[in-house]
Amino acid sequence: MNQQDKKIKTVVVVGGGIAGWLTAGRLAAHHKSNTPDGLNVVLVESPNVPIIGVGEGTWPTMRSTLIALGISETDFIRECEASFKQGAKFAKWVDGSNDDFYYHPLVLPQGFSKTDMAGHWLNNTVESASFSNAVCYQEAICEQGLAPKTIRTPEYAAIANYAYHLDSAKFAVFLQKHCTQQLGVKHIIADVTQVNSAKNGDIASVTTKQQGEISGDLFVDCTGFSSLLLGEHYKVPFKPCDDVLFIDTALAVQVPYDNEDERIASHTISTAQEAGWIWDIGLQHRRGVGYVYSSKYSSEAQAREKLKAYVGDKIESLTVRKIPIKSGHRSHFWQNNCVAVGLSAGFLEPLEASALVLVEMSAQMISEQLPHTRDIMDITAKRFNETFTYRWEKIIDFLKLHYILSNRDDNAFWRDNRDPKTIPQSLQDLMKLWQYRAPADHDFTSNNEVFPAASYQYVLYGMGFKSDYSTTAYMLKDTVFAKSQFDKNKSMINQAVTNLPSNRELLNKIKHHGFSAI
Amino acid sequence: MENLVALEQSAHQHIKIDTQKAQSHAKNLNMIPVVMAELSQIAVQQPIVFAKNSETGEFTLNALLGFEQHENLFYQQSQWQGVYLPLQLQRQPFFVGDTHAQQTQYPVCINLNSPAVVDNSAQSENNLEPIYTQSAEESGYFKQIKQCLGHLLQGELDNKKLIAALLKYELLQPLSLEVTFENNQKTKLNGLYTINQDKLAQLNSEQITILHQSALLPAIYTVITSLGQIYPLIERKNAVLNLADD
Repeated sequence: MNQQDKKIKTVVVVGGGIAGWLTAGRLAAHHKSNTPDGLNVVLVESPNVPIIGVGEGTWPTMRSTLIALGISETDFIRECEASFKQGAKFAKWVDGSNDDFYYHPLVLPQGFSKTDMAGHWLNNTVESASFSNAVCYQEAICEQGLAPKTIRTPEYAAIANYAYHLDSAKFAVFLQKHCTQQLGVKHIIADVTQVNSAKNGDIASVTTKQQGEISGDLFVDCTGFSSLLLGEHYKVPFKPCDDVLFIDTALAVQVPYDNEDERIASHTISTAQEAGWIWDIGLQHRRGVGYVYSSKYSSEAQAREKLKAYVGDKIESLTVRKIPIKSGHRSHFWQNNCVAVGLSAGFLEPLEASALVLVEMSAQMISEQLPHTRDIMDITAKRFNETFTYRWEKIIDFLKLHYILSNRDDNAFWRDNRDPKTIPQSLQDLMKLWQYRAPADHDFTSNNEVFPAASYQYVLYGMGFKSDYSTTAYMLKDTVFAKSQFDKNKSMINQAVTNLPSNRELLNKIKHHGFSAI
Repeated sequence: MENLVALEQSAHQHIKIDTQKAQSHAKNLNMIPVVMAELSQIAVQQPIVFAKNSETGEFTLNALLGFEQHENLFYQQSQWQGVYLPLQLQRQPFFVGDTHAQQTQYPVCINLNSPAVVDNSAQSENNLEPIYTQSAEESGYFKQIKQCLGHLLQGELDNKKLIAALLKYELLQPLSLEVTFENNQKTKLNGLYTINQDKLAQLNSEQITILHQSALLPAIYTVITSLGQIYPLIERKNAVLNLADD
């Protein structure tokens, strides 16, 4: 058999963080690694490298990921301190005043697929609510601290679409247990000391300090920022995007609840600051809070002051961790028989929780499109690279969108963010299109768009952007239907706030009773 | 408002129970909880369905009595309309008090605000039953009630066993039911579950033997058979609607 017809029988995942375990798990579940003729999935984890634990916010995709891994939602919520996330609330992003906020919820706008609801909302004289409140019932649920479902709703089913906040350290341990005990992933604890090449430039094996040589047909680089295989071995260049997204430092702190009845927000709260923004994520046992800022526009001492002002005096007794952030991604992600997933592929500020969703999408594509033989792999690699280059670029556009619509003027950080020189051409083009109409699905070309048109609508109109329909008023004659949709949304708000339990109440019930599968 | 107190001979010697009024506790229920031991009696008059407890999400076993919230088609003209009175109604206005872990004796309690409670009046109507005899002994009626409460306690355990087995073998499925009544009024029943007969047919002989040996198989088939009672229940609703139209 020549090298090119070689069957793909063994996948070696290097790195034991969430990216490593999610990829290994997805591969093992899809390719039946727990059966004798299934794919061999080996995960090599260093006993010495601590995991970074990126982002504690996920997307609703995490539900389908957990289902694909065969995980019970009750177990996941109980063991990972997970809570429900129904989108994000952006506070003080528009002008910095106290009542300045808008929502990017996870439920699509009411009537979105049937008529131009955004256009009707912009030109509506009877509907005075904010965009997200006018077309979506989720903001009301979040504002009242309610859960997206009840204890009677089956596992993974939703009354309002939801994702999770989770404790990433606990999640990694949980995934490890499930992958090794249920899915047939082989776990090797050893330090990779050397990468060994084959004649064709592929990785033939990795040498480890404790367990000798480990060979494989495909290597997944989940080694975090060090990017051991793709970056160090293959020297695939890193493309920084700090000229677009200025954030380069995070100060993170874990904040305990004051008492066991304190409300657990069912959305991520992102509050703009003078040189960045503060995330606030409610887990079951604590909040995760952090200030991500640009060190060009704020000193560390100033940043610590801002964080203290947000958290309060109790921060004095807590440990604040400083994490450098390098925004950007590798120029490509799959080289020869090596593909990078997670931080080894790239990182962006956690404004829209894009880290884990990219891991999930990568793991899904690798497992579902796993090439059968080596000669097919180059085709898969090319397609993977095209797909993910597009996704990274789209995410960068979408994150930047939050900054360019701000009117904040309290620091050069905000003014410079609005400088056209810092705005990607692709985003500038979209903004020109949307001067005269609302974002629509056909503005995007992917069949699995990371941020769909609805997300752009929530941010644009949440931040006060106006699309000018004056020359196309004839597009907005669907007023009776639009009104019926606004009304329907109002009645859904009423229903939701009467029937849903508080987020904390439901989380407590899950601890005691759990969800049933049906 | 309920007024729940532990039953004591000294305090409650003179209380009598109007057994027909006790049935009024079912007045606004469109479902009543039932236990495994009474399924064959229930199955000849009502559909038996599973639902979820709103506080815990756990599955419960119930007789379906109506299609709308608070609609009980088996409670008309101030009385229960079925041949068989479910244990949950027979026991009214008594119930079992808080059951602490180490206790072997459960206190019997009474809801003093129940319309069935008659406080030592001179009335001597047919339906009145004393709790205690004149010599302060427990009456025959009350002995029956205690038996009934005992059945309910045991029934709770039986139900748990049944439901655990159904979940283990994935034999429950949502029951979606859209009913159109004679006057074209439509209703949709949500949140109900029943036995998945396809899955049941796919169980292997070992699994069936386990269900048989734990005496759960009759209950499973009784629940399936009882679903036919949906049609008489629709008829009852039609009759009520026709009365309203007249």
